[in-house]
Amino acid sequence: MVVSVKQLEKQYGANRALGGVSLDVEPATLFGLLGQNGAGKTTLIKILLGLVAPTAGEASLLGQPVGTFKARREVGYLPEDHRLPEYHTSTSLLDLYGGLQGIPRRERRRRAAELLDILGLAGREKLRIRGYSKGMKQRLGLAQALLHGPRVLFLDEPTDGVDPVGRKEIRDLLLEERRRGVTVFINSHLLGEVEQLCDRVAILRKGKLMVTGTVADLTRQKASWLVAFDREVPTSFHFPGASIAAVEGGSRLRVSFDPTDGQGTATGADAPEGIDQFVAAASASGLRLRHLERERATLEDLYLAIADGGGTP
Amino acid sequence: MNEPNHVPREAADAAGRVTVRPMLPRTFAAMLRDTWREFLDAKVLYLLLLAIAILFGAALTGRIEPQPGGRQYLDIAARAMAADLDGIDIATQSMGDVAGRLNGSMYAITAAEPIDADLPEGHWKATLTRTFIPLVGVPESGEEITDRFGKIADGQIWTITEIRETGTEWARKIGSQTWEMAVAPGRDLRLLWPHRFTLFGDSIELAGTKGAPLGLEVLILQKLLATGLGGTILLLVSVAVTAAFVPNMVRKGTLELLLVRPIPRWQLLVFKYVGALLLVAGLLGILVLAVWLITGILANVWSPGVLLALPSLLVFFALLLSVSVLTGVITRSVISAMLVTVAYWAILFIAGQMNNVAVESRIREANVGKLRPTSIAETIRGRQPRREEGFKPGRKPFYQTTIGRITEGVYAFLPHTEDLDNLVDRQLMRDFAVAGPFRALMESASFSWEKGLGLTLLHTVAYLGIACTIFSRRDP
Repeated sequence: MVVSVKQLEKQYGANRALGGVSLDVEPATLFGLLGQNGAGKTTLIKILLGLVAPTAGEASLLGQPVGTFKARREVGYLPEDHRLPEYHTSTSLLDLYGGLQGIPRRERRRRAAELLDILGLAGREKLRIRGYSKGMKQRLGLAQALLHGPRVLFLDEPTDGVDPVGRKEIRDLLLEERRRGVTVFINSHLLGEVEQLCDRVAILRKGKLMVTGTVADLTRQKASWLVAFDREVPTSFHFPGASIAAVEGGSRLRVSFDPTDGQGTATGADAPEGIDQFVAAASASGLRLRHLERERATLEDLYLAIADGGGTP
Repeated sequence: MNEPNHVPREAADAAGRVTVRPMLPRTFAAMLRDTWREFLDAKVLYLLLLAIAILFGAALTGRIEPQPGGRQYLDIAARAMAADLDGIDIATQSMGDVAGRLNGSMYAITAAEPIDADLPEGHWKATLTRTFIPLVGVPESGEEITDRFGKIADGQIWTITEIRETGTEWARKIGSQTWEMAVAPGRDLRLLWPHRFTLFGDSIELAGTKGAPLGLEVLILQKLLATGLGGTILLLVSVAVTAAFVPNMVRKGTLELLLVRPIPRWQLLVFKYVGALLLVAGLLGILVLAVWLITGILANVWSPGVLLALPSLLVFFALLLSVSVLTGVITRSVISAMLVTVAYWAILFIAGQMNNVAVESRIREANVGKLRPTSIAETIRGRQPRREEGFKPGRKPFYQTTIGRITEGVYAFLPHTEDLDNLVDRQLMRDFAVAGPFRALMESASFSWEKGLGLTLLHTVAYLGIACTIFSRRDP
């Protein structure tokens, strides 16, 4: 496991930031950490980085207790609302952080030039950070996180303020890092991006882990189908175990099966047999199938359901 | 040979991953360069260098010229021959210390006129007479006079180039000897000789029309520019610039980027501190060196005592910077760091001044009715000693008042930084043969620069230690 967290708690005075979070993350994963402001995402990351000491529980990074120098050497971090010292240029800043990471001078110069080129910051080496746009600061922030070739990356809102082309480039860069075996933690409010990019996500709410799983699993949980027939479906048509709602007049239907047993565990009710039987029953009553589509939940649906209410949708 | 293709083995593994053990010098160098950049960014360096250049330029318009001084230093040299002053410090020891060394003779210059010029490099023709008690004292030879004339303690103000005894044998028998002699200036005469000091051509006269001893002029100039006004302004600017260092570093969003590095937190703070200290050391070095050069070029006096101002000011700044760092860590505010540091400085200054008053009141009380100690230097210049006056009826000496007691109580816990300044002053006074009660005080046992240095360093380390402890324990 790259990250292993057991019953992690953090108390800030009277405020409980984390209340018993357990989590395991495997190598070469793009891991999305979701949750509202104040849900405990940043606290969790700061504990994993060794910046903040947990009140209770255990956390290890790459088999090391968090916060050891050995663990920190393998970690890159891009904080949310980071403020890079404005008196630096891109090269002098990377030189500073590279020096603090213990990278020899020649090596960190080579590496800095390479990263600035990849991140589209080449040619601006003389410009002070004071003169940077938000997107440029973000790219430079990423460069410093990648500088020492870490095995784990913690990125808080990595594409914040970056234009669409830049976002695509950053996504490609992160995919490339994963291909090289790097584990990437992403905190983001851009759910579409997380869905597009991440292999696994976890959703935190008020310091508790509500859901964790692969993006595919989590979005499949909504077991509904869009079905279109050649003519209007009679309102009298029923099928046991499915709830049917008309979409756009009467020829299109949304057919939903209850996917869980009410405790967040999939029951298999959305298995293809269900819809097969439904279509068969429709054919038997003279309806001809024109379109059939599995409706997936977006991460946003899931997220909103958790953020609004008490548990899984 | 294969340099371009050479990749340090430690630097990258097969996956192109950089894996290097952080090393102290590398971390330190990185923080030092960071501090240097931050300092340059404040744009103050150029202003300071400009200010020092202007100072340098203004000072170099100055002229220091010897004035006719008359025969006063011949008289002093003659009078001083009445005692053996070997190994005596004329600036601090009084005539009482010399009493046992009187040789029973009186010497005087009865006639003197310059051979070439009445200037510090001028030669003189002079007549010296010696009066002694016959039978008790024995006649002195010209060689003995040549050996002793012009030497005062370890100073040499005249040397005799030619001497001829002119008194009669009869006069000798009743205790009177006379010599005609030609004298040349000794190496220390120049410092005592009155010089005019003018600035901007002739437009500003700084030492009166008659001039003042060259040593005194150089001392005042060096003190004003190095430890006085010049040093104070430079330290104030340094406090203002460095006050931003720590609050900028511990800002949210900046701090995290430093704390995730594989180095202990205290190192970040201490390296920043040392970096700032080295920068200011450089600035102080430039200032002090400039002052030394200015006075050297102007007056052709190159004694290195003023260079002591560098460590003295630097140790003081080290203390101020530790206060600034501690405040910066606690408040994370540039303004607070600046204000608290300046306030601390002000408290040290006021407490130091008040403590001086208390110490003086003790010395004064102990000496009521006695003659004020007068140095030999003052005595041979003809100053009359005064008696210490008593306190007015009903008035207590300051140290016995409530405020005085509080002052001395508080002062005991403060770093005695003015002793570092006194150390420089004392050295300058020694260099330039300047005497007086102030120097006498600084040569006395009540002044200890070692204690001042120790207490200052102790406070510095304590503030820095507290700052590191807070910095290491607080959640970002």
